[in-house]
Amino acid sequence: MHIPDGFLSPQTYLPAYALAAGGWVYAARELRRRVDETLLPRLAVLTALAFVLMSVMLPLPGGTSVHASGIGILAVIFGPWLTFAVVSLVLLLQALVLGAGGVTVLPVNALAMGLGGSVAACLGYRLLAPRWERAGLFAAGWLAAVVPAAMVAVVLGLQPAIAHRSDGQPLFFPFGLSVTLPAVLVPHVILGLGEGLLTLLVVSFLRRR
Amino acid sequence: MLQAIEVSYRLPEGQEILRAIDFRLAREEKVVLLGANGTGKSTLLKVLNGLLPPTTGTVCYDGRVIDRAALREAAFHQRFRREVVLLFQNPDTMLFNPTVFDEIAFGPRQLGLDDVDGRVHHWAGELGVAPLLERTPFGLSGGEKQRVCLAALLILEPKVLLLDEPTANMDPRSTGWLVDFLADLKQTTLVTTHNLSLAGEFGDRCLVLGEDHRLLYDGPIQDFLSDHDRLTAANLVHRHRHRHGATEHSHFHIHEWD
Amino acid sequence: MKDRLLLLGYAIAVIAATSVHNPWWLAAGLLLVAVLAGRQAPTIGWRALRAVLFFSLVISIGYAAGALFGQAVSLDYLILVNIRVYLLIFLTFTLAAKIDILRALSFSRNLTYLVTLVLSQIIPFRRLFEDLRLAAESRRLRRLRLRERYLQSAAAAVHLFDRAEHDAREIALAMRSRGFFQPDATDNAPGD
Repeated sequence: MHIPDGFLSPQTYLPAYALAAGGWVYAARELRRRVDETLLPRLAVLTALAFVLMSVMLPLPGGTSVHASGIGILAVIFGPWLTFAVVSLVLLLQALVLGAGGVTVLPVNALAMGLGGSVAACLGYRLLAPRWERAGLFAAGWLAAVVPAAMVAVVLGLQPAIAHRSDGQPLFFPFGLSVTLPAVLVPHVILGLGEGLLTLLVVSFLRRR
Repeated sequence: MLQAIEVSYRLPEGQEILRAIDFRLAREEKVVLLGANGTGKSTLLKVLNGLLPPTTGTVCYDGRVIDRAALREAAFHQRFRREVVLLFQNPDTMLFNPTVFDEIAFGPRQLGLDDVDGRVHHWAGELGVAPLLERTPFGLSGGEKQRVCLAALLILEPKVLLLDEPTANMDPRSTGWLVDFLADLKQTTLVTTHNLSLAGEFGDRCLVLGEDHRLLYDGPIQDFLSDHDRLTAANLVHRHRHRHGATEHSHFHIHEWD
Repeated sequence: MKDRLLLLGYAIAVIAATSVHNPWWLAAGLLLVAVLAGRQAPTIGWRALRAVLFFSLVISIGYAAGALFGQAVSLDYLILVNIRVYLLIFLTFTLAAKIDILRALSFSRNLTYLVTLVLSQIIPFRRLFEDLRLAAESRRLRRLRLRERYLQSAAAAVHLFDRAEHDAREIALAMRSRGFFQPDATDNAPGD
């Protein structure tokens, strides 16, 4: 979600940074415990992979397409912590090297996509997969699209309440939850179907060998 | 048949990959495209296949300019894609169907041809991949993938075959088989390679891309292969020292990089 | 050192630009950043404009449209938020043009290695992805059905994963053979 800087208040992004930093420290510790010395190269390659995975097309009916996120696939295959680390790195590079996606939005996006999306995907998958493997994969992709969208919509929608002038005029994002929730969620509930299908196809292809 | 007129190609970042390339392929002609690594061989094939638009100059097929407008015309697009096919250097990039059968059937199904089953079995037999038809393409070896890709292209009965380093993923036995197979094809073929010892097997005429990204040579391949100055200029051979017993000397070498 | 200071200055500037709510001060900040950007200012300014135009327009028009439904709409807000958004993107693009990201991250050896590896790895991945796209186009004879397009997208992702697995193994081997993993060679090397 490419929200430019300037729509999130410091009261939002500073705590979000603190929260994300905690997550990064925990993820680093967790990954070091579980992965051997090859962690660094693996992390690097997977970051490059996630970076390009976001260019893969999510076809829509009628010949158009949008970019996929790939979060569901990464989460099912590598688990939430590795996905969180990799997505955070992608966002850092996009912000600092490409200037795409802002630095104030970074912690919110990292928490929403990298953590919220991947945890939801893993939970959905683990819940369904023992009985319905394919439904589990589909749900993982769908949740990985919808849960981050909901989180971002809530954060945006709270801005007028968090930061406003004494006369009520907003200072950052102007719309409340009654606008952001439907505007962000409805398209992602539909796009999530594509993301779910892609997750199902990719993971089954990868496992068939 | 297929013609490049003063074709130049520049990356969006500004780097020049092809400079004023000019040549024409005649019907049923077998041509080899030589050049050191990074001279633009793959890019030239992609430009000839209408995948990358030349920065300046034009590509013509059968008297028609291949540009965005032409390829947007559904009937011409289909004809061009069917008649001029490109085998990518990395066969992985071309494979996306669940089974080898579907992979080979992809073209004829798009065209709505009859007897898809018979056609697939025929071309799978020709390319020696009939036993693999039920397998998933992702699990095959490099050489097998290459054959599946060739079957998927030849089933369209194309008129021009553009082959990018077709032997790069093959062992010596498969390489020998491919050389014989291509020699028997009736189609116009343009084969890229940096393997000089094989170059002569793929055609009689050769095009050579130099390190300045220009066409360095266009003519009979044997003349080029025996011209040390030109081979050195194209960075296709080099000299280095080596010993025979007690004497040390240096002379030209042709090295296999594959 | 210079790059680390740049990064620090950038962080302070971002916090300042989101804590000040006077459009005149923000405009002055924009002028200052444009001076710092020097000769690159026009190019950066143009790129920054294109990067935020769509989102800012949608929000601004949406906000202004609130007037039609009888909501209180203020011109002050539109001026404030648009200057702020433009200032921040200008700032980020200026930083991206001036900073050597690897030097800025040099406080952690592992992070520097990580970013170096990622930046070098993105290039072959992008090239592979571009080839996948062109190969799909080359084999397309008509408008593809949704099912076929999904198969192509999924296969592209599978090839990228394959490539990642292969490269991760190779790089780990290469780093091991160059002695990168000796316990005393890394900061905070994993003890286990």
